[in-house]
Amino acid sequence: MDILSYLQGASVQFGPSGHEQSTAEWLKARFEPLCDAVTIDPLFNVLATLKPNQPTARGGRAPRIILCAHMDEIALMVVEILKDGSLRMGNVGGVDPRILPAAVVTVHATGAGLPATPLTGVIGAKAPHLLTEAERKQNYSREDLYIDLGLPAEAVRSQVHVGDLVTLTGQTIALLNERAAGKTMDDRACIAVMLEAAERLSRMKHAAEIVFAATTQEEVGCRGAKVAAHTVNPDLAIVMDVSHAPIPASRPDTTIPLDAPAIGYGPYLQFKLVDRIRQTAAKNGIRLNVEQLESRTGTDTDTVQIAREGIPSVLVDLPLKYMHTTVELLDMNALRECGRLVALFAAEIDEGWDEALWT
Amino acid sequence: MDLKTLCEAQGLSGREEPVRRMILEACTARFGADAVALDGVGSVIVTRKGTDPAKPRVMLAAHMDEVGLMAVSATEEGLIRFRAIGGVDSRVLVSKRVRVGYDAPDKPALPGVIGAMAIHQQSAEERKAVLPIEQLYVDIGARDKAEAERLAPAGTMITFETPFTPFGEGLVYAKALDDRVGVYNLLRLLETPYAGELVFAFTSQEEVGCRGAAAAAYRVQPDIGLILETTSANDLGDTPDALKVCRVGEGVCVSFMDNASIADGGLYRDMLATAQREGIAHQVKQFVSGGNDGGAVQLAGEGARTIVLSVPCRNIHSPTTVCALSDIAAQEALARAFLSNL
Repeated sequence: MDILSYLQGASVQFGPSGHEQSTAEWLKARFEPLCDAVTIDPLFNVLATLKPNQPTARGGRAPRIILCAHMDEIALMVVEILKDGSLRMGNVGGVDPRILPAAVVTVHATGAGLPATPLTGVIGAKAPHLLTEAERKQNYSREDLYIDLGLPAEAVRSQVHVGDLVTLTGQTIALLNERAAGKTMDDRACIAVMLEAAERLSRMKHAAEIVFAATTQEEVGCRGAKVAAHTVNPDLAIVMDVSHAPIPASRPDTTIPLDAPAIGYGPYLQFKLVDRIRQTAAKNGIRLNVEQLESRTGTDTDTVQIAREGIPSVLVDLPLKYMHTTVELLDMNALRECGRLVALFAAEIDEGWDEALWT
Repeated sequence: MDLKTLCEAQGLSGREEPVRRMILEACTARFGADAVALDGVGSVIVTRKGTDPAKPRVMLAAHMDEVGLMAVSATEEGLIRFRAIGGVDSRVLVSKRVRVGYDAPDKPALPGVIGAMAIHQQSAEERKAVLPIEQLYVDIGARDKAEAERLAPAGTMITFETPFTPFGEGLVYAKALDDRVGVYNLLRLLETPYAGELVFAFTSQEEVGCRGAAAAAYRVQPDIGLILETTSANDLGDTPDALKVCRVGEGVCVSFMDNASIADGGLYRDMLATAQREGIAHQVKQFVSGGNDGGAVQLAGEGARTIVLSVPCRNIHSPTTVCALSDIAAQEALARAFLSNL
């Protein structure tokens, strides 16, 4: 699969948390050629099923695996229309106000109804000549910044409503050494991992039923995954999300290297499955680092693990620099290795996979 | 030459060559090589002889250079450390795209990004603290120091990557509208009617202390210096009126004073009267801030009378500068009307 062109296409899909419908449809079309059945649920989760293509070892029920990665993106919303027609903004997910000054955004104006009309805006920043000493030392807070639509105030008021969504912009670009940077790599890059895995699994023998869930509303509390995990009713879960790769300011032991996948280890992650996936990696020459997670993971694992009666879960991390900016940077080789790893691991899951799981 | 081409051309202070080449080509094609000169600091000086020696010699000036970044070294992990060329507020750099090096036919500029620590990993103090330039890096995807320093050795110029984009009603955002807008209008004024000697100075190094204009004005010794610039518009939202400086879309801005020069009183009054008479949208700069080539031209050699016409510009010195096309047209119209009445 052409990872870069997928990332470029995925990152421009409109999908703030709770408003992922068009992204879901775009993704559904990507899974359809690779899977047996693809549906979209009421929360816009995309559920793509790959049926087992070989019988289980002892002829019993095939285990069912859910693989999860989220499609929603962090965004902003209009909270006030000022007298001059500039807009004050609020958060939808965790947008760092540091990335906002002089950023280009799209305001999805609903004044003429739906579908929303995209309007280009620029976030205003004060000129350096005009800053006081005190101002120079403080970051802007979101409340001090305005979106400039370049329109007369009346035109803004007739087109834009309070509550309209605002998305960040920024083309996905290829950098040196198979690296790429853009917006929404968190976590649409991990949906690329699922597509990569689906492509591999469609050519591999697997006794398990495999459901790829591209989930919604992760950035506001992993809500889509909760429903997806209930609906799919899996025996075990493999969640994929991005995690932090080191930058010069990183603290010790808070990052994983950029150039290889990692596996989460800690109370939320089923320790035997973690061991098993590490063995899969070792057998297949896949470099796999470990991320220590002493409590909540901040990923879909947090809700999937306690869906229904509880689902043994593992978390595969795709390392990424500059998370929640519009220049989230990743290594496409690490992405491919993530896909290879989860495909190999899923293909190994057969009847009896849960023997001695807790002992 | 269109404004898009001029804005997207790369040309940091002292390294204006891509823009300079465009200007040289356009001016030489129009007036011949004899009328076009390069001075000792890289400004392009184009002289249009007059027919009426009684008329004052006017120097029209706009600066070619733009603000940006310069590579100084690389970290062990292959990130490029940089310094700002010109006044760049480090807060506008986070999460932006840049181009490392200048485009050459065989070797295009390298794409790069400026990231920062993820919000999840910032402490409460870090969230408040402004990241200074020394703690920001350009990431081109290099694996290590050696690769980064080979591809972007110290001194490599780094420009903002912002495609020239019209938006809203008659606005445009781009990098370097400061002062490619002035360059654009200067090129449009090459044919403007005026019987006296007219010198067009496309100056270098304005953003690092108006170096080019000082040398150019010394050479030209104009009677009048008319500077075409941009100036900060701080006019959004509930900013108090007294701090707005000027307003985008409300016409060309005539400065009575900034931190580098006080406009010649006679020229200032003439300019306002001309604008009024001709119905050209204009406004008076409402705040004493900034400084530009006007100061250097006024003080060069035996001195000159100067006046500055500025296009209001939001987010000036950022990757995403914003101007109104109507203000750009008003700057040209007022300069033209002023000359024809001189």
